[in-house]
Amino acid sequence: MVDQVRPYRSGRRTTARVLVPVGVVALTAAGIGLVPAMAGDSGPSLPALTAEQVVAKALGSDVESLSGTVKVKADLGVSAQLLGGALPGGAGGRHGGDQGGSQAAPESKLLELLGGEHTLQVAVDGPDRQRIGLIGGLTGYELVHNGSELWAWDSRSNDAVHLTGPAAAAAQQPKTPLPVTPQDAARRFLSLSAESTSVVVDGTAEVAGQKAYQLSVKPKQSGSTIAEVRIAVAADNGVPLAVLVRSTDGSKVLDVHFSQVSFAKPSASTFAFTAPKGAKVTERRADQAPAAGRTVPEALGQNASGLDLVGQGWATVLTAKLPAGEGSSFAKALGKPVGGGTLLGTKVLNVLITDDGRVFAGAVTPQVLQSAAGVK
Amino acid sequence: MSLVETRPAAVVTVGASLSLFRSELGLTFRRARTITLLGILAALPVLIGVVIKSQTDGSGGGGGPAFIAQVTQNGLFLVFTSLAVTLPIFLPMTVGVVAGDSIAGEAASGTLRYLLVAPAGRTRLLAVKFAAGMTFCLAATLAVALSALATGAALFPLGQVTLLSGDTVGPGTALFRAVLIALVVAASLGGLVAIGLFVSTLTGSGIAAMATTVVLVITVQILDTFPQLHAIQPYLFTHHWLSFGDLLRQPIYWDNVLQNLGLQAVYVAVFGSAAWARFTSRDITA
Repeated sequence: MVDQVRPYRSGRRTTARVLVPVGVVALTAAGIGLVPAMAGDSGPSLPALTAEQVVAKALGSDVESLSGTVKVKADLGVSAQLLGGALPGGAGGRHGGDQGGSQAAPESKLLELLGGEHTLQVAVDGPDRQRIGLIGGLTGYELVHNGSELWAWDSRSNDAVHLTGPAAAAAQQPKTPLPVTPQDAARRFLSLSAESTSVVVDGTAEVAGQKAYQLSVKPKQSGSTIAEVRIAVAADNGVPLAVLVRSTDGSKVLDVHFSQVSFAKPSASTFAFTAPKGAKVTERRADQAPAAGRTVPEALGQNASGLDLVGQGWATVLTAKLPAGEGSSFAKALGKPVGGGTLLGTKVLNVLITDDGRVFAGAVTPQVLQSAAGVK
Repeated sequence: MSLVETRPAAVVTVGASLSLFRSELGLTFRRARTITLLGILAALPVLIGVVIKSQTDGSGGGGGPAFIAQVTQNGLFLVFTSLAVTLPIFLPMTVGVVAGDSIAGEAASGTLRYLLVAPAGRTRLLAVKFAAGMTFCLAATLAVALSALATGAALFPLGQVTLLSGDTVGPGTALFRAVLIALVVAASLGGLVAIGLFVSTLTGSGIAAMATTVVLVITVQILDTFPQLHAIQPYLFTHHWLSFGDLLRQPIYWDNVLQNLGLQAVYVAVFGSAAWARFTSRDITA
């Protein structure tokens, strides 16, 4: 109030006062830029363990229940729409709507995880009860497995898929093309044999407030497009908390990590899902072949025959035979011609379609595919 | 100033601020323009409700605005649909008009110098203008929400509400969440009020300030759609606006909502202090 009395000295005042907003901007920028940089500087100190001990910890983890938020970021260098569209009943057919498929079909929905960033709310209570909630902008997608039942529900269309039957338990979580939780991902990489894989402990890290050992898993074989897999294993209970996959060109292909985690048992009501009011429910028996939305190998299997695996470890190649004529024109339009066929390449995944209608796919270099196909 | 004098002076200051705030509120809400804006905002949910009702085959094939599939099941969802539809354009436009006009309009009509003749102080006048702007945000959001609630109740069934996570909650819980969402939506316009106030101190023309603010909102939202600008998008004040949907999950997913509110606070601090720096040091000639 006092300053009203004095005359305004515009010039000096302005320079002094402009410093205030500038200071606020600088402070905020420093806060955003420096705090994570400082936090990420060095991991927590933990007793030294050998790689074998950490792997044993991870694979022998007896934690049955957890809940938390998982961030999934996948960058395979190919759009999820393309992947979905290439599969019958896949994500690409979503907007077609009424062709017998349901929008809530879990397999096509989970294909969307192949591209971009996603946030999942995860709850697990033993092998019989899991729940995954996919957080979209103003939409939600739920996948609930409870004993012999599996529900999938899409808020956008209010469509639900209800899978029942004895085999639902065996099928439990639908086969996803991508490991949805860090546990899933870690198990896939840690169960690879010692001859093909080198595993070392590479420091420690803090993930979702948990102290963790960082495992660095690298292929010993040549021919893989994966350069390194980093797995953070919780020091307390051996739960894998984060998995980061780097391709040979140095880019992050897959980044799955908990941003928040709790090992308390989720309440039973979490897994008690019923179709919401007004939902269009598609009933499916687990022992029947689903009408639409197959797992990826099944979807491929309908158009291809003789699905097989060649090679082992990191250089495993999936092979199949296309019925004459089908698919190869589509592939030729997209792929680039190589010796013996057409190559569809992404950062990690390469697919070779030979001129005589065989398909070879894997996270391997084109050369490995060609030698598996015997075309070079 | 001795301690003895300070206390009564503080009481007087608070009292004066309150009466200034009251007169500012009266000025804002008695204006025909404000009432018209609120009326248009209230009419939109009715329009949306009638459109959904007349095309009531339900499914919608997953297209269209958010929550369309749920609105036909429960009228309460019309509140969320209406907020999602109005938040990107209509709400910021009206807020831009009110905030952009707050100082510049007074300057243009020649009333600003009389306000400053009263022993209120420029800082306090600015604070009161900001508070009035935030009150308008709340009023605008409530106009949309209440009108949507009334329309939804009239055209669609109410009752059990299915959340985005597929869980079903009672109408009481759902109503509480609707109130929470209205508050979050109003608060997420805070950054825009501060920007509008700052622009308003730069010019003596109310129309120019309003237009600049509204153009800014639209430009920022266009920038938010370019995948190439991925790196800066989390810092755009519109980026997390639609995160209010996360309040409709069980358990509530707070991350994005808190990020949104934090970002708004930063914008208020930056542009509020910029407005203060400009307004307290400029010559008022009009």
